[in-house]
Amino acid sequence: MRTALFTAILLILLAGFLQVAVGLPFGKPARTDMDDYFLAHAQDQAAANNVVTSVVFDFRGFDTLGEATVLFTAVLGVGMMFRKLKPGEEYEHD
Amino acid sequence: MNMTKIVRTTADLFYPFCLVFGLYVVLHGHLTPGGGFQGGAVMATGAALLLVSRRYEDITRSLRQNTMKLCEAVGLLMFITAGLAGLFAGGAFLYNGLAGAGGLFGEPVAFGANPGGLNTAGLIPLLNIAVGIEVLGGLTVILLYMLSGVKETEP
Amino acid sequence: MTPLLLLQALLLLGLIVTAVLVIAFKDLLSSAIAFAAFSLLLALEFYLLQAPDVAIAEAGIGAGLTTAIFIIAIRGTKRYEEKD
Repeated sequence: MRTALFTAILLILLAGFLQVAVGLPFGKPARTDMDDYFLAHAQDQAAANNVVTSVVFDFRGFDTLGEATVLFTAVLGVGMMFRKLKPGEEYEHD
Repeated sequence: MNMTKIVRTTADLFYPFCLVFGLYVVLHGHLTPGGGFQGGAVMATGAALLLVSRRYEDITRSLRQNTMKLCEAVGLLMFITAGLAGLFAGGAFLYNGLAGAGGLFGEPVAFGANPGGLNTAGLIPLLNIAVGIEVLGGLTVILLYMLSGVKETEP
Repeated sequence: MTPLLLLQALLLLGLIVTAVLVIAFKDLLSSAIAFAAFSLLLALEFYLLQAPDVAIAEAGIGAGLTTAIFIIAIRGTKRYEEKD
C-alpha cells in the first residue's frame, strides 16, 4: 500500500518535471549579449582560438584563481586528516 | 599491497600514455577543448594507476610526497605571480599584456575560424600550465595521503 | 528517430542500469567498478551533448581518480557490506 502510494507520487513528480523539461528550448538562452561579446572579442583581445579557455582564464580569470585556491584548501584538509603520527600514536578507530 | 602481475604490467604500460595525453591537453588548452584542470586530472589518473597497483613503500621511492606538495604550491604561486605581473604591467589583475605583443606566446590571431598556432594567446598558456601543475600535485598528494593512512593488509 | 537520439537513449538507459547496480551490489569493489562505468557513460553523454571540456574532466576525475580513492578506502576497511 505504502509502496504503491510512493510510486504514484514519484510518477506524478516525474511527469511534472518531464512536462516542464520538454517545453524548454535546448541551447537557446534568453539573453545572449555577453555571449555575442565574447565570441566577437575573444580572438582580438585574448588571442585565443578556444573561446571557452579565453573566458575561463582571461575574462573570468579571478574565478579560476578561486577554484585553484579551493583545491589547495581541500588538499590541506585531507593532509590534516592523514597527518604524520607522533611515535607511539595511532589513528583512532571505533 | 601488491596487486597481481596482470594489473602491474597493464599499469606500467598505460601510465606513460596518460601522462602524454594530459600534457597535450594542458599545452593545447588555448586551441582545443580542455585546459589546465582537465589535463592535470588526466595526468593524476596516470599517477593513480601506478599508486593503486603497487605497494606504498615501493611507490614512494620514485613518487615522493614532498615533490608533489612542491608541485602544488609552485602551481598556485605561479598563477598568483602571473596575475601580479599583469597588475604591474597593465594596471589590472591577470591583465593579458602578452597577447599579440610578439615574443613568448605573443603571435596575433586572425579573426574567424582558423586552426591557430601554439605560440598565441599570451598569458593563457602560462596559466594553463600553472593550473595543470597544481592539479597534478594536489590530486596525487590526496591519493598519497590516503595510501599512507590505510593499514596494509595482504589479501 | 535519428541514430544520435537512439544512441543517447541507450546511454541514458545504461546510466540508469549502472546507477541501480552501484546500490545493489553487496561487494563494494564491484560497486566501485560499476560507479566507474557510470562515470564513463556520463562522459560519453556529455560528449554527445557537445561539452567536450566537461567530458574530459568527468572521464579523468569520475572514472579514474574517484575509483582509485574508493579502491584505497576499501583496502583500508572491509570489502563486503554487512547485514544489519
